[in-house]
Amino acid sequence: MLRAKVSAALIALLVSGGLAACGSSDNSSSDASSGGSSTTSAAKSDGTPLKIGLIPPTSGALAVFGADEVKGWQVAVDQANAQGGVDGHKVELVKSSSDGQPATTIRAARKLATAQGAKYIGGIMTSPEQAALSKQLVALGALNFNSTGKDDGLIGADCSPNAFRSVTGSAMDVNAIAASLEKLPAQTWAIQAVDYSTGHSAAAAFTAAAKKAGKTVVLTQYAPLNTSDFGSYISKLKSAKADGLFAVEYGADGVAFVNQGAQFKLFDQYKTVLGFNMVSEPLFKTLGKKITGFYNNVGYDVDADNPFNQAFVADYKKANGVDPYYVPADTYMAAQILFAAVKKAGSVDPDKVKAAMAGLSLPDLSGQNVTVGPDGQAMRPSYVGQVVAKAGGPGGLGFKIVTTTPASVTHPSVDPACKS
Amino acid sequence: MNLAQVLNGLALGALLMILSSGLALIYGLRGVMNFSHGALYMLGAYFAYEATNQGLSFWLALIVAPLGLAIVGAALELGFFRRLQRRSHIEVGLVTFGIALVINRVIVLIWGDDTHPVSAPKAVDGTTNVFGTDYPTYRLLIIVVALAMAAALVLWLRNSRVGLHIRAASHDTETSGILGINVDRVSLVVVCLGGALAGLAGTLAAPYFAVSPGMGQSILITVLIVVVVGGIGSVGGAMAAALLLGLVQIMGNVWLPSAAVLVPYALLIVVLLWRPTGIAGKRV
Repeated sequence: MLRAKVSAALIALLVSGGLAACGSSDNSSSDASSGGSSTTSAAKSDGTPLKIGLIPPTSGALAVFGADEVKGWQVAVDQANAQGGVDGHKVELVKSSSDGQPATTIRAARKLATAQGAKYIGGIMTSPEQAALSKQLVALGALNFNSTGKDDGLIGADCSPNAFRSVTGSAMDVNAIAASLEKLPAQTWAIQAVDYSTGHSAAAAFTAAAKKAGKTVVLTQYAPLNTSDFGSYISKLKSAKADGLFAVEYGADGVAFVNQGAQFKLFDQYKTVLGFNMVSEPLFKTLGKKITGFYNNVGYDVDADNPFNQAFVADYKKANGVDPYYVPADTYMAAQILFAAVKKAGSVDPDKVKAAMAGLSLPDLSGQNVTVGPDGQAMRPSYVGQVVAKAGGPGGLGFKIVTTTPASVTHPSVDPACKS
Repeated sequence: MNLAQVLNGLALGALLMILSSGLALIYGLRGVMNFSHGALYMLGAYFAYEATNQGLSFWLALIVAPLGLAIVGAALELGFFRRLQRRSHIEVGLVTFGIALVINRVIVLIWGDDTHPVSAPKAVDGTTNVFGTDYPTYRLLIIVVALAMAAALVLWLRNSRVGLHIRAASHDTETSGILGINVDRVSLVVVCLGGALAGLAGTLAAPYFAVSPGMGQSILITVLIVVVVGGIGSVGGAMAAALLLGLVQIMGNVWLPSAAVLVPYALLIVVLLWRPTGIAGKRV
């Protein structure tokens, strides 16, 4: 009887935990972005505004990134409107919200595309949301601009002719890491990865690249997602005779791994600590100086020395008081891709804008030109950076870019599973 | 399995021991499975984060946070457990689950969704050589604190008048009341102590794991398993089960990494098949 009660209560706990994650909110607010000027030149346009619906997560752990996505869009829109709009079309942001759940996001996207006339969607955060929306886009007659969802399926089995991605995908980032391996000093590597598809695919790609580069992998181990105590994994790493560590642990797991590794003095024994999605600007303050010298894939080089990037950094900093990092930067590029396509199409009609994507070429924040592949992937370079002391950076840290790998290397061909 | 891994098991078990002792005490007396215990532990960790963030020493936080959680425990006893003592245990359990959700949300509203680091004090931030193995001193501190807490708690329960009353009330509340024991007062002491132990575990966990909003929920399931394996309501059983689970979990991580996540559940099934009343049975 007692056990039955406890079992019932345990089940109630688990079910309720799942339900608690499922909030709902799709209240929208229209924001005809003021920017520097509200004057519309309307030189070539028919006065139709370019309406962009944003559906960022506004609750939960991803809310902070959702807010930064909106900031990226806002800077792009403000710049465009200050110059009289995009091809004469004033740009309007229609802000909705999600809890990060696909069902909520789809509801919000339908409302934006049908009731509010926003046929261009952005600000959606996670890959499951992007994948779910991809299936609806053609029916909605809408185009989606993904700047954060990195899942490879989004340009594979889940691709859509109406979906475009400005952020580099997971496979592209792993390929960039692999391409940089030769230049890193360690010869004998240990791999600590999350027991999840990302961890396994990254470990496999790294192992293959290490073999190709004449280096060896002496230990590969996986920790379940949401591991809080890495003690046993770290003790095994300490016993393995490696002079390099490749770590695929992210979010709270990554923070716990780095903190506990430092307690064990684990990182002192390595010539190279290379992370995949482990350390990034938003975590610099949390992780502190102990990550100085770590290498990691880097989504965006804030110091890229070209006028296009410098103008973006200056405007972003003026509006938000801090330097941009990869989330607002990739989002800004999503906006630029849309604006370039609208200009090329000479229209805000989604079908014409979609057609204009073929052969589209525009400046990238890296200083090179970016094109959009037939799978909707923006062909942008991937970086590997080293964490260094940087005055004014978050936590006094910043990335120094050590390798830049072009998209022709990281994404050489379209996945045959993408039939768009 | 080398010495470092044994110490890893003891450190994890030690933390679970502190946390599960409080949960077992409350269950033993009130008969309520307190689902807010994980949230109390998380609140303790956030108190420690806030205290150190405000410039207080970690050692002071180790006292302040449990005291703060003892006050929260008193509020739970006076506001909920005492008023709901005649309701069914499932209903009270669900109320505690609701309390956990409220505490979670309040924490996010105050401290945000981010993960926050708490540094171990300088004196215990390095490593100590244990029979030729360099091991983090902070983890050794957790083991020492947990063992000291366990010894003090057992001595207090066995030798003090209040301890006698707690043991009596845990066996039979009504008879204890008839014999003159003020069960409400005993219950207040126990729930305060349970809260303080959750606060102590949370404070110790802050530099161990880092502080984040999901930390309470993720450890709660493990602690519930510890309490059931130990023998529901038995403090000594919970302590033994915590150390056992810590060691078995680490053995799983080392020898069966792909199935390590299932270890607590496997242990639960094995122990309940072997001894349906848990390791300690009905003893307090």
